[in-house]
Amino acid sequence: MRYVKWGFLALIVLIVGSFLHYTLPQHDIVRVVGTYQERQDLGDWTRIFWSSPDDQSGTLVNRDVQFIQTVRANGDPMVYRNEDTGWGWPPYFKFDTASLQTEADDLRSSREAPVWAVVTHYGWRSELFSIFPNAIGIREVEGPDVTIIPWVNIILLVILLVIILTIRAMLRQFKERSIDPVLEDMGEAWDEVESRADAAGDEVRGVWGRFKGWLGTWKGKPRK
Amino acid sequence: MIGFARLMIVGLIGLTLAYWLMLIYMRSLRREALEKDWDKAVAEGQQPGPREAFVEDGLAAYEGSLRRKLIWLVVIVPICLFGILLYVMNFSS
Repeated sequence: MRYVKWGFLALIVLIVGSFLHYTLPQHDIVRVVGTYQERQDLGDWTRIFWSSPDDQSGTLVNRDVQFIQTVRANGDPMVYRNEDTGWGWPPYFKFDTASLQTEADDLRSSREAPVWAVVTHYGWRSELFSIFPNAIGIREVEGPDVTIIPWVNIILLVILLVIILTIRAMLRQFKERSIDPVLEDMGEAWDEVESRADAAGDEVRGVWGRFKGWLGTWKGKPRK
Repeated sequence: MIGFARLMIVGLIGLTLAYWLMLIYMRSLRREALEKDWDKAVAEGQQPGPREAFVEDGLAAYEGSLRRKLIWLVVIVPICLFGILLYVMNFSS
């Protein structure tokens, strides 16, 4: 039973953790090497990893998607998709895909004369499933070693914590003020019912006892 | 525009719910504090009058207070964050 409990908790932590890891913004320091646009089939389960930037795109079978090709500071390639999120989830309200693509094109540089940029993105890259993180912003930085403090993540996680603690406090207050008094009343009512039943039982026993006593008189036993 | 309408409706429902829950919660806290004030006043030998009237008067005063109005922040702050995010994401470089 303990393993079930811990397994269940671990599963919840895993789900919430991956959800946050997928949704919250992350920063990569990269060198942009190119951009391209490619028609993507949207008909399989990886549909959930593509955006649905406008209302009609939800029903499309395929669609052109813009990509930004980069090389990271450690030499690994990284490809981002560049899609509007629109008014949907995750709530980045990104509508400037074309502008972002232009900025990325503007930052293109060669290996010999690298221009470093930090890409803000959310999502995961998986070669196996052909899924790409969505770039949501790009800006030039001094070099590949700059330190980036993830303020947005810090603020969002603090807000999330405050919300969770508030809900917990609300539930506690509700329990203390609304449920416990009712339970107490019920407990008192139940005690009353029990004591009444006991009294009634005593009474019945009394009647039965008297009846047995009366029967006993026929056998010559004295009444108690 | 359906996406925008959906966001507005869901957001409005969510914010209304948050505001309403906060309203109930804060009033409950206030009522509890007033009841404790009354108990304390009685324990100190003062004459705060009947308990119900004391609490109701206190709650009536609370309804007009700044603290009660600050609950609107639950609605205003997310809308402001939405506006700032929309601007930063799309219209500033």
